[in-house]
Amino acid sequence: MKKLTKILSLLLIAAMLLAFAACANTDTNDTTDPTTTADSSSTNPSEISSETLKVPDDFKVGILHISSVAIQSGYTWAHHKGFLEMVSTLGVKESQIVVKDDVPDNDVTKTKQALQEMVDADCDLIFATSYNYMNTVKEFADEYPDVIFSHCSGYLSNDKNFNNYFGRIYEARYLSGIAAGLKMKEDGKKIAGYVAAMNNQNAEVTGGINAFALGIQSVLPDAEVKVKVTGSWYAPEQEGAAAQALIDAGAYVIAQHCDTENPQLKASDGKVFGVGYNTDMTTEATKNSHIIAPIWNWGVYYTEATKAVINGTWKSVNYYGGTKEGLIGLSPLNTAVAAKDTQTAIDAAKAKILDGSLIVFDKGLTKADGSIIDHALTDEEITGKIDYYIKGVSLL
Amino acid sequence: MKTAIELQNITKRFGTVVANDNVNLNINFGEIVALLGENGSGKTTLMNILSGIYQPDGGAIFIRGEQAHIASPRDAQRLGIGMVHQHFKLVDVFTAYENIILGMPRVKGESPAECRARIENLREEYRLTLSLDKRVHDMSVSEKQTVEIIKLLYRGADVLVLDEPTAVLTPQEVGHLFAMLSRMKKSGRAVVIITHKLYEVLSISDRVAVLRRGQCVAEAVTAQTDSRELTNLMVGRPVELKIERPDTRKAPNVLALTGVSVKNSDGGNALKDVSFSLCGGEILGVAGVAGSGQKELCEVIAGLVPAETGAILYRGRNIIGNSPAEIIKKGISMSFIPEDRLGMGLVASMDLTHNMLLKSYRSGKLPLLAKAPAKALATELVDRLKISTPGVAAPVRQLSGGNVQKVLLGREISAQPQVLITAYPVRGLDIHSSFTIYALLNEQKKNGVAVLFVGEDLDVLLELSDRILVLCQGEVMGIVSAKDATKEQLGLLMTGGKEGA
Amino acid sequence: MKDLVHITKRPERSALSSLGLIAAALGLAIVAGGVFIALMRQNPLEVYAAIIKGAFVGSKRDPFSAIKSTVILFVPLLIVSLGLSLAFKMRFWNIGGEGQMMFGAIFATFFALNYSHLPHIVLVLLMFAASVVGGGLWGLIPALFRVKWSVNETLFTLMMNYVALYTIEFLQAGPWKRTPGFASIGSFDANVQLAKVGGVHVGWILALVLVVIVTVYMSRAKQGYEIAVVGESKATAHYAGMNVKKIVLRTMFISGAICGIAGMVQIAGSDNTLSTGLTGNAGFSGITVAWLAQLNPFAVAVISALFSILEKGSKTIPVDVMSKEAANVLQGILLFFFLGAEFFRRYSIKINLPQKQVRHIQKEEEHADG
Repeated sequence: MKKLTKILSLLLIAAMLLAFAACANTDTNDTTDPTTTADSSSTNPSEISSETLKVPDDFKVGILHISSVAIQSGYTWAHHKGFLEMVSTLGVKESQIVVKDDVPDNDVTKTKQALQEMVDADCDLIFATSYNYMNTVKEFADEYPDVIFSHCSGYLSNDKNFNNYFGRIYEARYLSGIAAGLKMKEDGKKIAGYVAAMNNQNAEVTGGINAFALGIQSVLPDAEVKVKVTGSWYAPEQEGAAAQALIDAGAYVIAQHCDTENPQLKASDGKVFGVGYNTDMTTEATKNSHIIAPIWNWGVYYTEATKAVINGTWKSVNYYGGTKEGLIGLSPLNTAVAAKDTQTAIDAAKAKILDGSLIVFDKGLTKADGSIIDHALTDEEITGKIDYYIKGVSLL
Repeated sequence: MKTAIELQNITKRFGTVVANDNVNLNINFGEIVALLGENGSGKTTLMNILSGIYQPDGGAIFIRGEQAHIASPRDAQRLGIGMVHQHFKLVDVFTAYENIILGMPRVKGESPAECRARIENLREEYRLTLSLDKRVHDMSVSEKQTVEIIKLLYRGADVLVLDEPTAVLTPQEVGHLFAMLSRMKKSGRAVVIITHKLYEVLSISDRVAVLRRGQCVAEAVTAQTDSRELTNLMVGRPVELKIERPDTRKAPNVLALTGVSVKNSDGGNALKDVSFSLCGGEILGVAGVAGSGQKELCEVIAGLVPAETGAILYRGRNIIGNSPAEIIKKGISMSFIPEDRLGMGLVASMDLTHNMLLKSYRSGKLPLLAKAPAKALATELVDRLKISTPGVAAPVRQLSGGNVQKVLLGREISAQPQVLITAYPVRGLDIHSSFTIYALLNEQKKNGVAVLFVGEDLDVLLELSDRILVLCQGEVMGIVSAKDATKEQLGLLMTGGKEGA
Repeated sequence: MKDLVHITKRPERSALSSLGLIAAALGLAIVAGGVFIALMRQNPLEVYAAIIKGAFVGSKRDPFSAIKSTVILFVPLLIVSLGLSLAFKMRFWNIGGEGQMMFGAIFATFFALNYSHLPHIVLVLLMFAASVVGGGLWGLIPALFRVKWSVNETLFTLMMNYVALYTIEFLQAGPWKRTPGFASIGSFDANVQLAKVGGVHVGWILALVLVVIVTVYMSRAKQGYEIAVVGESKATAHYAGMNVKKIVLRTMFISGAICGIAGMVQIAGSDNTLSTGLTGNAGFSGITVAWLAQLNPFAVAVISALFSILEKGSKTIPVDVMSKEAANVLQGILLFFFLGAEFFRRYSIKINLPQKQVRHIQKEEEHADG
């Protein structure tokens, strides 16, 4: 008995030491084996043929993600899917990519380490996908002029080796607003809810809310949109809680601008409807509630940008693609829950956007405070200056 | 007389140290054998081999004429050998009865009542006064020792080995113990006592074996030897056994305590209304059963524990409330040798040089330590006090007990104190080292230092001190002149009997 | 019947023996790690080569890039480990290196944000002083509770780490928010950035200077002596007339202050902003480093370097050689053996094989027969 206890305690000590050692070193911003997640290589075959492009052996491309690529939905996954699409389309080898995921963008120490490791791995092109990497990426761009840095969703750039890329997601949000508005109209409801990662200080989020509200109001003029802010891009618990609060406040459709699908799960549980984001959020769990989601096809940009870098034609101009370029789109409409003729209405509006006859932020918009904007918003205003909600939108 | 045990050419090595070197020893039933030797002479090792704790590297053991291999204490027990160690191995929260039967399978067919009766019989046979239902933590040291002895008897030991059994006892208790050992001898058992005290050997043993540096240097019938011969055998050369008591000029009232009381952690009185005065050029002995307030007495003078009431006057000024650092500065020096020896006076992991600095490190204006003088002092002490050490850079922990005590006392004396408080400075030391310490204390006395000497050995107290203060449960039972006092008188005071006069 | 496995405290090993033990641990670690790598169906030599390469071999652009990154990891780890060593020497369980680092950084950030117009050297000195005060105070608080009310410092310092972390989050989202729409302080003014020497911010020189200062402080200064005595026995310190409370407070202030310096060096030298991840776990890794180094500052420097090499090297193992999870496990295995060496330095294990006893019994039977 005594022997056994001793052996057990030895094992326990060993386990504790091991655990301690492991805990002290759980840095997670690291390269990840892409083979475990590269399932999209067969999907989305692009018209760009790899035969026309020879990828040099010493070419390397890296991508920096805020959350883990092992979670196959939401913001990071949308980007990573696009990245993998580029890899397979262009025929980039596994040894030529560097993926750093799970790097919190509020942790500058880890961000720097990850970027440094990509630079030191001789990356020629580095994509950084989260907003708050911006300042750090700028410092790196200044220090390493021969590496090209492309940062998503920010506003800084230079004219040599640092651009930003983003898209007119508000176009898709407007179209998804039509789907939400029609559903509300069909069931005689007036209130939609919106789980927002950031408050009105963030133009991207605020513009998206306004576009969604405009889409609803195009079919249901006196509809309201209630907004609940979580304060973080990635906050699984708060995102669910915010959705629940909106449902409790009478919201009939829950839309979102945040990283997880938790708001959609809450909508499903609460027997209301939902509009997702980033990826198609119609899943087994949400098939009776989720209508449609604005989505990104990041592969469009990643392929184009990487090709330009390899060909030597890359220019430091900011990329702002939209529906026309195919960067922005909508997930397939869930006809099981959508109102009648939704697809027709969306298609009609989309055609108008493409031919330029529909401008989402056109002149004559009424702000929540009653003032009227006397011009159509410029791209600069859309990406950086929208800090107000329009009429019918209010914080919960 | 039948031979109980025969040890032949026992050798035991620990690394390069030879603890026992070809030792031969016979022990007969019906006799008491004393195993005499200085600290580190190999007495305890030899008996640990007999009781199965160590395995010898060479030699043979015969028990009742048959060769035996004793692989564990359990083997020893089966062969009828039992040992009472210096540190008792009892479970504190168990009663005496529970400790005695602990780990012993009950004899088949015997009821608990019969088992208890068997123990009671043993107790009566040897006239041991002890309640079997008393818990160990409520017992005195002597009672615990009794439990250990009954435990061995209950387990059927007919060879009993006792390691320094008198170290923790009062003179009266020693008397009881010796009476009990005599009864065991009469009942035919063999008894071995390990000791370094000569008077014990002479008063109780039939035969004596003297060990020195692992070798058995002599085996003699006690009646045919004397203390001088034994000492010479033990130390290896002639030794002057008389402790000096030089006459000195006394400088009155260097230190005076009046009505000092100290609380212990339980809120009781560790010291109660203690008053006495200490003169320069005097050694004031302090006697008392262990735990009678000796530690608190030393500590309150050194400023380490607060006094509840009273005053401690040093040259007429009250020093109560002064910080230990201020008291050190005034020249009051304390060297307290606790049971684990290193305790608070020395830093075990540090070398001699750094230990020299312990009280004097503040000297000098620079924020850096002045190591050179400390090193010089350490070197000097090693030389003067014959401290055996690999060097002044060796950690104190590696030194043997006697050397540790020399380092401590040497440092205190080198600070040239006005008052020297020393507690148990010869605890566990061999005769030679003890005499070195006594000489050091006398030297201080001759220099006019007021010495407070807290001791254990009453013979030493009587010979060395000028006066003896007796503590019992924190109270001063009396202060006697050492020249006129007797051991019995001290023993009576120690156990609470008030002084007749 | 003896215990099968018997663990005993062993006498001190000589320096040579300790060195041999560490070498043995290193060898065993490499073998065990190799077995693990082989189980992952990879070539151990290739993976070890990748680790060494990751820590030392730079990029095409800059042949020293990897070494620089390794040094950047090394600097805060070394400084924090030095700070913790002081507290540990006093047997004060300062698990709060993380928080003290953060508070040093917070105090320094105040000057980085509000006084960036001052001359660079003045600003840096101000930030340095601020980090000393910030880290020091954060170390002083648990020490105060310890000496006043005997509050256990292990838990207290640990909890203080979280308070510091949330303080940074609060500052990022509130008073010091500089980036619209996002809780971030933004980059400091260029004037704040520490100058580079040999391609790495001057923090590395400061760290090495601190090694010397802490060595002198611990082994030559009176205060260092007091720390050692208090650590060994408070009773002895008291006996020697030392003011134990004062020593505990002072030492914890210094320990925290040094950790605070590590925080300042990290934000001004490397991060160029204040963020929650600034410690990079150095406050925790430093505990292991300090003990492995047996609180000897020079050994702390060596062990910190080894840790940083292992960390940097294993983080940069290429995707196609080993996954990051496997690399983490490998790192854990290697560390485990180092900690194991520490165990064997202090204890010895005796295994009592049963055969021996069988032999004894046989002997006894022989005697019985004879």
